[in-house]
Amino acid sequence: MTIFNSSAWIVAPIIIPLIGGLLCFLWRRDTFFIALFISLANLLSVTTLLRQFLLFGPLRYRMGGWEAPLGIALRLHGPALLMLLMTAVSGIGITLYARGYFSFRISALKHNNRHEQQERFFWPLWLMLWTALNALFLSGDIFNLYVTLELVSVSAAALAALSGKPASQIAAFRYLLVSLLGSLSYLLGVVFVYKTYGILDLEMLRQIATPGPGLQMALTLMTLGLLLKTALFPLHFWLPPAHANALAPVSAILSGLVVKGSFFILFTLWFEIFASSITANALDLIGLLGAGAVIWGSLQAIRQQRLKLLVTYSTVAQLGYLFIAFPLTATENISQEVWTAVTFMVMAHSFAKTAMFMAAGTIFLQVGHDRIRDLAGIRKSLPITSFAYAIAGVNLIGLPPSGGFIGKWLLLTAALTSGQWHWSLVIIAGSLLASVYVFRVVSRLFLTPDEAIIQECRPHSPLQEWPALFLAIIALLLGLIAPYFSLILETTEIVANLAPGGGL
Amino acid sequence: MIIKSRRKNKRRPFDPILLLVLLLTIGLTALLIKANYTIPVTSFGLAAEVARFQPRSGVESPVTAVLLNFRGYDTLLEVMILLIAVIGVWSLTKAPFPQKAVKTSPVQLAVVRLLAPLMCLVAAYLVWQGSHLAGGAFQGGAILGGAGVLLLVAELPWLRTIHSRPLRIGLLIGPLFFLGVALLGIINGRELLTYPGKWSGSLLLLIESTCAVSIGLTLASLFAGGRPADDLIGQTKTPACNREQKRC
Repeated sequence: MTIFNSSAWIVAPIIIPLIGGLLCFLWRRDTFFIALFISLANLLSVTTLLRQFLLFGPLRYRMGGWEAPLGIALRLHGPALLMLLMTAVSGIGITLYARGYFSFRISALKHNNRHEQQERFFWPLWLMLWTALNALFLSGDIFNLYVTLELVSVSAAALAALSGKPASQIAAFRYLLVSLLGSLSYLLGVVFVYKTYGILDLEMLRQIATPGPGLQMALTLMTLGLLLKTALFPLHFWLPPAHANALAPVSAILSGLVVKGSFFILFTLWFEIFASSITANALDLIGLLGAGAVIWGSLQAIRQQRLKLLVTYSTVAQLGYLFIAFPLTATENISQEVWTAVTFMVMAHSFAKTAMFMAAGTIFLQVGHDRIRDLAGIRKSLPITSFAYAIAGVNLIGLPPSGGFIGKWLLLTAALTSGQWHWSLVIIAGSLLASVYVFRVVSRLFLTPDEAIIQECRPHSPLQEWPALFLAIIALLLGLIAPYFSLILETTEIVANLAPGGGL
Repeated sequence: MIIKSRRKNKRRPFDPILLLVLLLTIGLTALLIKANYTIPVTSFGLAAEVARFQPRSGVESPVTAVLLNFRGYDTLLEVMILLIAVIGVWSLTKAPFPQKAVKTSPVQLAVVRLLAPLMCLVAAYLVWQGSHLAGGAFQGGAILGGAGVLLLVAELPWLRTIHSRPLRIGLLIGPLFFLGVALLGIINGRELLTYPGKWSGSLLLLIESTCAVSIGLTLASLFAGGRPADDLIGQTKTPACNREQKRC
């Protein structure tokens, strides 16, 4: 007799893209439609999970039917659900955009064989990366997290090298090595956790973790590895070349989604699992590095002459905000707000940055270069793309009602109420710098010079322009649906308070 | 930007980035050495748990029980990592076989003829042994991969004409079978990767055999260093048409 267990929905976001990735590698024909079908099915399964979550609260799933210390558990909690949702929505946008991008390049009659081969390998790698990210967000086991991290890094590095240009291959190789170094450092940390506690399950670790030399060592190693993978200043050196030299849809994936994966693990470890062992000094150090990232990344972005590099450096800067949130959690009563703020920043940045890279990619394809100096008046030939870029920029600056605004507002409030006003200065300075590097491009795009140069207008499909606008508008409207997200995050809080030693 | 980074790569006697990485690695090593000597082992891990549930796993070897049953999810993902590595390598380049056929020395050929079948046999034995002693898919797959490398080094002429499709099927058979068995649990109304009690022993052996084949092919393909020559033929039609249109 067949009984479909409704808790099985939790594995759907892992299994569905995985099957899709395998099929795309096997069949090769009409792979876009497989990918599209998979992304829609994935969205469906994530919304089903959302419904279940709102009805029953956080879920826990025993893989293979084995209880926790022996087997592996999956867990679905508020932040994980929001990350899944973010990946599902961005993923659909990226899938559509990638189709437009590749079909345009294939139709361009230049190295067309190469572009076909790129598209052919893009789909399985992208779906595998999607699997890996979903598995990462859902994992409830500290070693399984390592496996998902590896899955993410191998597929991300392969995607980064896909463009085939020597510069991108060198950058991708460096990215692979850095990623491996980060993963290994994390793995060593896991070894120390296992040596000290003898279990790998996150929930059980949270209950028994006490400060000690073993845990301290483990946390240091894991943090270092994850910071390297998240590219926190000054460990960001690998990020600009890898993200800027990749194909446009790949850059969108890397900047919008992949760096969020390692950040998610880091945040979960610091503020949920091992929250009791975190010292104020460590929080301040991370916050300081975050502040450095905001200032340095923004300054670099302002200096860049190429659009894609500018967008890449703004990723370095925007990642800094996520780390500025760390010291703000030190005060007990506002930590929930900081959680909400960070989730918002992550989601808003993901949508906005994905849109921005798509827009930059379309501009590059259409104009043939991305020198910011010569981009004047692009609005005439690419109105939708320019609009999308501008809206995504609004998000990065943090103007209302964007998700970025809500995130920054919550961070500022937290900084002021906890008496750490110096962090608010960095946040405001970062916003000002962001407006400089955003308007530097936007003003060019929208101002048509007097001696209007007629751009060569090549035909392009709507898939190249609309996904970027779609994602940018979602990022803009995130602020308006903020209460719903807080509801999801608070569902976590209730349960966390019931559990002993809830660090949320 | 591209030109810039290229130039950078040509003259690079001293790179601050490298120095940073070096310092980081040295620091890590020092920390590790210190930690290894100062931090006591306070737990004996899960060995007792594994021993307790061993009889219900369907295999007699504790390592196989952990790999495929208790923590089968990890292994499922690891098999996928190997596959992604092959897809990544294939996306970069074609397998770099030399243009002309190379004449292999008769001694080498004789050795290959002797060893390759033997290695396949050893691989099969290792997979079978996995159910009660040390061994299993990864070990068997490694031996199979070694056999593939031996054939590749001997530069046998038929290797370069291997078609993409059968090779892809071979690469996927392990991951697909594993995934199929994993889904069987859900279809039966249990959790993912729950094996049906009575059959778990033989199912595990089947998973191991198919995965060993796939892992062996994966390793050999990684050594070959690229996709098969006919991998793009299916789609080259379109650009040819386009070119004709352009001429018209």
